Amino acid sequence: MTERWRIRVFLVAGPIFLGLYCYAAMNLPAWGSYRGPYGDAISRLVVYQRHATDAVNAINYDYRAFDTLGEEFILFTAVLGVMMLLRRPDDVAMRRAKVSDEGKLSTTVRAIAGPALLVTVLFGLYIALHGQLTPGGGFQGGVILATGPLLVYVCENTKAFRRITSHAAIEVIEALGAGGYALIGLSGLAMGVPLFTNILPLETTGDVWSSGTIAVISACVGLEVTAAFLLVVFTYLEEIISGQVPQE
Amino acid sequence: MQHVLNCTPYFVAAWLFFCGLYGLVTSRHLVHSVISLAILQSSTYMLLLGIGYRVGGAAPVFVGIAPGQLTVDPIVQALMLTDIVVEAVVVALLLAMVVKAHEKSGCVSPTDLRTMRG
Amino acid sequence: MSHIAQLSPLPVVLPMVGAAVLAGSRKWLNRAAADSIGIAFAAATLAISALLLAHSVHGTEIYWFGNWYPRGSVVLGIAFVTEPIGAGLATLAALLTVLALLFSWRFVDSGGNHFQPLMLVFLAAMSGFVLTGDLFNLFVFFELMSTAAFALCGLKTAEPAPLQGSFNFAVTNSVAAFLVLSGTGLLYAVTGALNMAQIGLALGGRHDPLVLFAFTLLTCGFFIKAAIVPFHFWLPDAHAVAPTPVCVLFSGMMVELGLYAVVRLHSVIFAQTFAAHEGAFRGILLVIGALTVVVGGVMCYAEHHLKRMLAFSTICHAGLMLLAFAIQGPVAVAAMLTYLLAHAFVKSGLFFTAGVILHRLRSIGEKALYGTGKGLWGVAALWFLGGAGLAGAPPFATMLAEAGVSHAQKDAGLHGVALLFIFGGLMTGGAVFRIGMHTFFGWGAGPKTDPAAEVGELPETAEENRKIFWYHYLPPAFCIASALALAFLPGWMAVLRNAAAAMVSQPAYLHTLYTGQTVALALPSWKRAVPEACLHGAIGIVLAGALACSSVFRRKLKKPLRVGDFLEGPMRPWRDAQSGHPGDYVMWITVGLAAIGSATMLLLR
Repeated sequence: MTERWRIRVFLVAGPIFLGLYCYAAMNLPAWGSYRGPYGDAISRLVVYQRHATDAVNAINYDYRAFDTLGEEFILFTAVLGVMMLLRRPDDVAMRRAKVSDEGKLSTTVRAIAGPALLVTVLFGLYIALHGQLTPGGGFQGGVILATGPLLVYVCENTKAFRRITSHAAIEVIEALGAGGYALIGLSGLAMGVPLFTNILPLETTGDVWSSGTIAVISACVGLEVTAAFLLVVFTYLEEIISGQVPQE
Repeated sequence: MQHVLNCTPYFVAAWLFFCGLYGLVTSRHLVHSVISLAILQSSTYMLLLGIGYRVGGAAPVFVGIAPGQLTVDPIVQALMLTDIVVEAVVVALLLAMVVKAHEKSGCVSPTDLRTMRG
Repeated sequence: MSHIAQLSPLPVVLPMVGAAVLAGSRKWLNRAAADSIGIAFAAATLAISALLLAHSVHGTEIYWFGNWYPRGSVVLGIAFVTEPIGAGLATLAALLTVLALLFSWRFVDSGGNHFQPLMLVFLAAMSGFVLTGDLFNLFVFFELMSTAAFALCGLKTAEPAPLQGSFNFAVTNSVAAFLVLSGTGLLYAVTGALNMAQIGLALGGRHDPLVLFAFTLLTCGFFIKAAIVPFHFWLPDAHAVAPTPVCVLFSGMMVELGLYAVVRLHSVIFAQTFAAHEGAFRGILLVIGALTVVVGGVMCYAEHHLKRMLAFSTICHAGLMLLAFAIQGPVAVAAMLTYLLAHAFVKSGLFFTAGVILHRLRSIGEKALYGTGKGLWGVAALWFLGGAGLAGAPPFATMLAEAGVSHAQKDAGLHGVALLFIFGGLMTGGAVFRIGMHTFFGWGAGPKTDPAAEVGELPETAEENRKIFWYHYLPPAFCIASALALAFLPGWMAVLRNAAAAMVSQPAYLHTLYTGQTVALALPSWKRAVPEACLHGAIGIVLAGALACSSVFRRKLKKPLRVGDFLEGPMRPWRDAQSGHPGDYVMWITVGLAAIGSATMLLLR
């Protein structure tokens, strides 16, 4: 199909589809008037039933924990796919490749890297551990934590960055995070209750260690997301460096 | 007229979907195709979050507000939250395919890459 | 809840744990250890799924995750509905995964031990997809299945072709996922629920434009996965580049699961929506199904690349399954599910045999394979038996399914569907026979070829190991033998019929989900239609053989008789449509969306 015909046919079919979509959307309830029973039922019950103040994370890690297990494994699978696609047949030579850190960044920027890293890591840990109380949780906290080593790289310390992220432990941590989530669910099964039932004590609302398994699952997910993003960045970086390293 | 204005966020979602499809159809660069997919994803976010909004509703975080007070829908926010992070990594997977295709064949245009015809 | 029912989530969670274990210890395991652990987890999943299937025959079990039981009619958590159809599909998925992992023992390149965990995740996603009773959960497992499939498709990175095939696959199936999510969102807006039963209950008989459009989005999304025309273009590209064990799972399970989802959603959610317009709804599905059968069949015969040919035959048979569903009613759905089971075994057997051919003869294009297979009697037998199964010859189970379809179509007053079944069988079976005659006997003047077949494929296994081991023979032999044996095994057909009757009945499903009690429904057997189906099957296989001969011996035939030769010809416009450009594929998806959406809005309001 030539490009012109492709666009012509699309410009006939596309607007028809757009028109149908808008026509159907006119039958939706007016914007701002959510009526449904599901959301309201959860909002009413979440503090009493789970001692968690953040309804969104209670849904993610308790009411619909099984969905989140599936989503977490999509992340896990995609990282596995990236590592497989960009695999290098000769890992050892890459690790020994000398990469020079000569740059033109000012001393101020390089000096700030340390404090910025500290703030980022603390903030990431705070977000990851307080998911059951305030917006945040494992996914967001994990992403913030993953930007820590990235700061190191951006401030021109490639050697340190590669030393952190090429460590074999990162893959193990990622697998532990993913497998750990599934095992937390299975522990309920071992006790004779359905998967992902909240079996830990719920404690007081508003404490960090409250709402039972929600906090534990959130921490697990945080581990996994951090390791996953670090693996992806590391794999892409190796791909770039391998283009600069002369092949003997 | 009021009803049409009330549906504007949904029209925006529909338009984004159309733009994503248009980007995929007319794309000349594989990275552009991947970004068009991300636009399609944004369309679904607009639709879902628009559905869950409630005028005058508070955020579904019960720190400082009593349980039972009017909030927006937490379900759609929970659905979207995990989706955003996951989609970032799936985009990474697609871009890895693009990187590898460029490495093997030297081109990034779908037209030049056509070894699959017939 | 009984003890066995407590195992319901294990077919999903167990392979996930296995994948995590394999991925974490990837660098320290040698190939044999990784393969063994993978097969062990898959076999354990198979055992548990089979146990659940046996238990579900006595009554459907509902499993509420997190112990969240519904409050009134509002469902708070996610439910797994373990009934014979879902449990049966999960068992089939586990069985095919075990066979695929066995086939890839040691010699298929595993991408640094990444292959085995990806296969386990794929299995987990398929199990979750068929067992779930929640619409968003269905979407999550749809995405998980797709992501694992994209990664598996790109395994062979040594040539540029796999990357383009997997990129086209990724783009089209991601569009499918977004369509499904948009449809889910629209239904959520209307009903405020994500559980399928609750949505069906809340919708009732509504058929305003919003519900019809949500139906269009959901159905088209799943049609893309099921490779129905005009959403089918990604399938041949993906099959041409994926390794053989992965192709088995794609064609044997993944494509069929798209159709399963359409049937499930129609039965539970949209059961009353089309009540007033049954004829028009049936008409739309019949047109789409017939188009799929014709395009799939014709393109199948015109292909000279073994795996692409088998991919087009999958498209043709998916069209046949859609035709069976289009007839509507419990008998038709039971026939469709029987066909699904039979086709899964026959197609898997053929793909495994193609894998053996690639391993032993080091090529996958018909021209390059000409005459090289002489003396491989076992492989030839499997290949020809597979072709007979595709043609619907007795006593394969495909013939049994066709009997069901004949029975259902007579009740509904339709008469052309059986002809389309014969057409599909003769085109796909004929293609398999033609390639078999060329490869294993070296008959005729030499095969034709086309640019797609010239692309070639690097063999998946290393050069030194051209011997065919027992673990290369066992999977295809088991699959073909199962397709034959199914027709003679007692009991399973009655179970499937009754389960299909329960699946199609929305009141029964709602009652079971909310109260936990099973509703027993029975369906009479269609034994009376079997002799006629045997006749159709015999006609099909004879015509397939004749078509293949008219291609192979074309030099010796007069011009008007060279039907096969004509069908193998250039076919410019058809081939140009299969262009390999993702923009073209998305354009066709939009055309399909616009067509199905308009037809639904205009005819079914």
